[in-house]
Amino acid sequence: MSEAQLQVRHLRKSYDEGRIEALRGVDLAIEAGDFVSISGASGSGKSTLLHLLGGLDTPTSGEVLFRGAQLGLTIDLDAFRSKRVGFIFQAFHLMPTLRVLENVQVPMLALSPCPANRAERAEALLREMGLQDRLRQYPNELSAGERQRVAIARALANEPEILLADEPTGNLDSVNSARIMEILTGIQKARGMTLIVVTHENEIAHSAARRIHIRDGRIEP
Amino acid sequence: MAAQLSFAWFAWKNLWRRRLRTVLTLGGIAMAIGAFVGLVGFSSSFEHEWLRMYLSSGTDIAVVQQTFLNTSMNESAGETLKALPAVRQATPMILNLMDLTPEVNALAYGWKADSYEFDSLTLKAGRRFQDGQPEVMLGDLLAASLKKSAGDTLEIQGAVFTVSGIYHGGSALEAGAVIMPLDQMQKLGSLEGKVTAFHVRLRPAPVGEAPEHYLARTEAQIEAALPGLRAIPAAERAGNNQIVQLAHAAAWGTSGIALLIGILGIANTMAMSVFERTREIGILRALGWKRWRVLVLIEMEAAVLGLVGGVLGIVAGWGSLRILSALPQTASIVSASFPLLLLAEALGIAVLAGLAAGLIPAWRGAHLSPVEALRHE
Repeated sequence: MSEAQLQVRHLRKSYDEGRIEALRGVDLAIEAGDFVSISGASGSGKSTLLHLLGGLDTPTSGEVLFRGAQLGLTIDLDAFRSKRVGFIFQAFHLMPTLRVLENVQVPMLALSPCPANRAERAEALLREMGLQDRLRQYPNELSAGERQRVAIARALANEPEILLADEPTGNLDSVNSARIMEILTGIQKARGMTLIVVTHENEIAHSAARRIHIRDGRIEP
Repeated sequence: MAAQLSFAWFAWKNLWRRRLRTVLTLGGIAMAIGAFVGLVGFSSSFEHEWLRMYLSSGTDIAVVQQTFLNTSMNESAGETLKALPAVRQATPMILNLMDLTPEVNALAYGWKADSYEFDSLTLKAGRRFQDGQPEVMLGDLLAASLKKSAGDTLEIQGAVFTVSGIYHGGSALEAGAVIMPLDQMQKLGSLEGKVTAFHVRLRPAPVGEAPEHYLARTEAQIEAALPGLRAIPAAERAGNNQIVQLAHAAAWGTSGIALLIGILGIANTMAMSVFERTREIGILRALGWKRWRVLVLIEMEAAVLGLVGGVLGIVAGWGSLRILSALPQTASIVSASFPLLLLAEALGIAVLAGLAAGLIPAWRGAHLSPVEALRHE
């Protein structure tokens, strides 16, 4: 049996000195190239799970493994986030002071050494997103759909193996939502990447090859 | 070619976002560095001019009482000094600061008419004064400020003096000074028989004796011959006389306070900036930026504030020195020369001030939890 790309064992996460339990013992394995949706009600723990899978946060107990190596123990979390995963957020989280082309280069500045051709790489990604006419715009000059496409280009900047999207269509209308999901699934297929999408929209959840539903911090069978 | 993003550009854009705050912070640090450059430059220039005066006159040793400003040495000590074998010439002098007009004050020297210190001055008009006569000689800078020529009269503290000559001195302390007969100055200040110091020229060092050793040996001889007095090498005296030390202390004290205010200004700006950008810092951390990279970015912003503020401050300080060297009230004690070391010091202090001010906000920003920072409203 092949080793899972991402695996979580007995994962627990609590806040406020244990008074709030966001995750109550989650076990999960995700294979490379999977398209997984994580759905659930608000406060069910789905975003917390995504943050732990992406090395944004550390569990209270249990472990997250990337190809069998434990995050935070044998794998440095910063290095994991910069090289292995790309994040896409509901609120886009672009840098307001930077132009579109510069925003896509921000993750590349996390690498040592920084790629010398980062501007060219960023431009190529933005062309792929159909934003070749928006390179010199600032985020506030773009539509919501365009901003999310910039965020996707940024997530791909360091050629990660895993894309983690937290409600990527939460701030978009239906047309743009469909477009973004089309782009994400297209990237996942074309590049063979793992795509994990947290969503509360049934349509998106059902478009995934594998659906995970969380309720009260536990994965429903 | 597409625009490449660099750390420095990123830092600059963050500062440029809050232009008014950045400009105000720059104004604060520029004022602090300007005060440092102006005040420390003033005191350094003062010391430099003092040294030039000693060097140009060929004075090797200054013999003083406990304090330089205290005109309490007996003039008769000069005979003991002259009797020492190493002493070629010993000339008494009085130094004071006088208000010549409500606008113009100047250093005033009381010299003997035969003082060797006249050798370094160039007479431009008139003649040297005579001992016992109510006469003065004016440095060309002071004469221009007072609009006086040789033959004119000048009232000093109620007494009328004739300007016997105008001279040019190599140092601003001389060019902006008034020199009068020692006895006239003693009379003016009710200091009959008293002097501020003796300036001493030594005979050449004996063959085979190192100059430093010769100087030290002679100092010891003078102090042994005149108990209670101090013999100090002229070069050392230029830096440690009380007027210069007072100027240095005032300069460093005042500019230190100004620098502290400047540092607090940068610290406030950086703390505000980090607080406002908490979510952005969270994004950087989410994108894999290590803590030290976030710290470097914020420190770079603080250093840029310090550097740019420092450059502006140097320009302001240099301008103030130029103005001081042109004002009649201060022209006699400051020159417009601008030591390069001071420039380097000012820039170094500005950048260090920026880095120090940014350290705590940077540390705080770097240690934000990515998830907490992303949730920040």
